[in-house]
Amino acid sequence: MSSGKSPVPTASSQEEARVPTGAGAAARSSSLARSVATPVALTVLMVALGFAVGGNTLTTLEEVLALVVFATATNLLLGQAGLVSFGQAVFYGIGAYTVGLGWLHWHLSFWLTFFLAPVVSALVAIPVGLVALRARRLYFALSTLAFSELAYQLAESRYDFTQGANGVFGPFVPSVLTDPIKGYLFLLAVTVVSLLLMWKVTRSPFGLVTRAIRENRGRAQALGVNVYRHQLIVFVVSGFFCGLAGAMFVVYSQSAYPELLDWTSSGTPIFMAVIGGMGTFLGPALGAFIYQFGHDELVRYVSDWQLVLGGVLLLIVMFWPDGVLGSLTKVKWSQWRNSLNKGGSDE
Amino acid sequence: MSESSIITNLIGILTTASTLFMVAAGLTLVFGALRLINIAHGSFYMYGAYLATTLAARLGGAGFWVSLVICPLVVAAMGVLVEVLVLRRLYRREHLTQLLATFALLLIFADIALRLWGKSVRSIKAPSALNGHFQFGGAAVPVYDLFVIGVAALVAIGLWALMSRSKLGWRVRAVVDDPEVLAASGTNVPLILTGVFALGAMLAGLSGVVIAPEQAVQPGMDAEIIVAAFIVAVIGGLGSIVGAAIGSLIIGVVETLGAVWTPSWASTFIYALMILVLAIRPWGLFGETER
Repeated sequence: MSSGKSPVPTASSQEEARVPTGAGAAARSSSLARSVATPVALTVLMVALGFAVGGNTLTTLEEVLALVVFATATNLLLGQAGLVSFGQAVFYGIGAYTVGLGWLHWHLSFWLTFFLAPVVSALVAIPVGLVALRARRLYFALSTLAFSELAYQLAESRYDFTQGANGVFGPFVPSVLTDPIKGYLFLLAVTVVSLLLMWKVTRSPFGLVTRAIRENRGRAQALGVNVYRHQLIVFVVSGFFCGLAGAMFVVYSQSAYPELLDWTSSGTPIFMAVIGGMGTFLGPALGAFIYQFGHDELVRYVSDWQLVLGGVLLLIVMFWPDGVLGSLTKVKWSQWRNSLNKGGSDE
Repeated sequence: MSESSIITNLIGILTTASTLFMVAAGLTLVFGALRLINIAHGSFYMYGAYLATTLAARLGGAGFWVSLVICPLVVAAMGVLVEVLVLRRLYRREHLTQLLATFALLLIFADIALRLWGKSVRSIKAPSALNGHFQFGGAAVPVYDLFVIGVAALVAIGLWALMSRSKLGWRVRAVVDDPEVLAASGTNVPLILTGVFALGAMLAGLSGVVIAPEQAVQPGMDAEIIVAAFIVAVIGGLGSIVGAAIGSLIIGVVETLGAVWTPSWASTFIYALMILVLAIRPWGLFGETER
């Protein structure tokens, strides 16, 4: 658990770093240094963590990294766009299956399929998004759930192509990555690049418009924003990174199976985002740590993991809706906002 | 298709549709009044079935009939607790909060059921009066199937009478349109909401008891039925009881005929159908566009 909590102080110091202290070029270069500081510090911390722990914990860390990308990508929809999707497991599963089936049917190299996986997921996300985004709110949640079940049923019943409920297992991960520490460092590199790219998306004007739609759809529409197209793009970007997370999953699990696509699997990244705080960028990542290490610790002592998870989740949504990171940064965030209003923007 | 297989399939369709209708009607009734989707609705169904297995084991022969009355009431009481302790605090919050809270309840109820009843598959015997078959048009029709269809028909008529022929139904519909005016005119709105939620839970519990002699009672049946009920409710349109009935029939047809003609694609068809309906009418066949 201690390793799960370690990003907290660094993440909250990021908000501190964003408090503008002065004006002009000096401030700009220092704010650049500061905006680089958080990702670098977190990366160094994670590399050190990888070398410090060993064996099973390292495998758990690999698992966590895949989930960090999965949860952060899901939160692009949840926290950014305000879209509750119970279908992100579709893209996660497709990512894993792309690697597995590429090896099984066409003997494609792992490296090719690993980077193909997010592209395939994004391509599938286009038609899914086109249909699902016609519906709103609860209907959107339910139609994405239907896509998840459809994908699950297809993976389970098309035995000739997917090997059905057995899933795809095999030695399709190159030996360099099955070495725990090398595999971990590779996944860490992929995670860092993914998070930086997603951070860019959320900080872009496009990300701002997406949040504007979440806050007030009607007003955004009245201002001439094409809501449907914006939401579709976020949906596809989220699908892309969910697919990448699925390919990352394969690196440590060396398998792909139908349960990955199930709607209850789509719940997992949502839980992580809610636990960590879906109003913050790094909240879902922190949630992934807490969720996975919490799970691994708890199942050693009690059999009722779902009971604990459900109880924690219920308490969080009822009494602590900002999540862990959200609650920690809320105070500082409002301080930053106030100082922005006084001293002008640094972005 | 021969005459006898037409009858067999027809009974199969109606039986499947009946079970689904009782669950989906409760889901859609709750949505109609409370504007929330209860993911834990399937848990009520599962608890109805599990409680029936316990009661039947204790009471023997008459156990089923006692269960048919007692278990739905126990489940309704569970519904009251859920509404009062959890949901009532969340009505003013966004739909994500409500979805997650009921998802959390699904997980909690699933593990408690696992503690109480274990992992093993349970079942109960149908009462002797409902055992056996009778011959009709060359087909052997199970008496129990007719009982299931009969119960669902009674539920459908009862709901119709309640919603469109009684003062109470009038108030439930008014809750959706204007709770403030309803409250000002002397109606206890929170009590109505609790009542509707308990009624929905009771219907799910009743459905659970009714299927217990026919299907395996086991962990996972909660998540399985809730997905089916979602599909019915979404195809028919959330909030519409008629929609739930039509949606159940459609699923019954697709599931039964799909299993006869292309078994390996049958499960896929249902989801494809739901997606098709959502693509054309995102608010379902009988639903209203979301405000």
